Amino acid sequence: MNGDGARPVRRRERTVSSAVAVYIIVLLGLQIFLLTVALDALLSYNPGMAWVSALFSVLLATGSAFFYRYLRR
Amino acid sequence: MSDHGARPDGVRHDEPAVTWRRDFPYTAEGEDTVTRREFTRYLALASGAFAISNVGVAAWALARDVPEGEPQRIVALGDVPVGGTHLFRYPHDDEPAILIRTGEDAVVAWSQKCTHLGCVVFYEAEEELLECPCHEGFFDVHTGRVVSGPPERPLPLIELEIRDGDVWAVGYEVPGPLESR
Repeated sequence: MNGDGARPVRRRERTVSSAVAVYIIVLLGLQIFLLTVALDALLSYNPGMAWVSALFSVLLATGSAFFYRYLRR
Repeated sequence: MSDHGARPDGVRHDEPAVTWRRDFPYTAEGEDTVTRREFTRYLALASGAFAISNVGVAAWALARDVPEGEPQRIVALGDVPVGGTHLFRYPHDDEPAILIRTGEDAVVAWSQKCTHLGCVVFYEAEEELLECPCHEGFFDVHTGRVVSGPPERPLPLIELEIRDGDVWAVGYEVPGPLESR
């Protein structure tokens, strides 16, 4: 018996993987913004702002890694 | 003659699956086999690369000291007319600066590097403003603060002293993070 039930599962898998990719793309966009903030802080001799930006960027990268690991299950 | 031993990406079944050959196929068919999962993997790697870069920039910002500037004779006060300017380099040779004589005994000096994207500012005597021609940023000549345009930070101040008729630069002051428009 062929699985017609296999089709909804495949469709859901594709939807989930597409959604995860979209999430990570949004996080990447935020990280690009944070990098510009850090560079501006570098030019204005403001290491505090640069470290805050780096901290949030690391958090976002952790989120991206979490999403990818979730996808691999 | 077809090669039954090869996969669409050019890797033969009897060859070990080398990662770089799998990720960079040399056949057109192989290029079409990038899955969403692989794409997401590279996105996650790019995210990690951005985070590492951001941490590197933060470490660089921590290691970077505000230039202090040694006392340096700039120009004789009498050589600069009222409303005139004098260009010089301070505190280093790669830091352009501009001195403006705003009155008989009043002189100010600012870094000539616009705080937006680093273009050189020039003095508009009629409006008493320092103008950046790149993106139409304007700074007040007396306070260095941004009057209009895209810059977000005031110009760094060069502290001056007048000694025996000569103008000396004695310090370099970068505005604090809360000193904006």
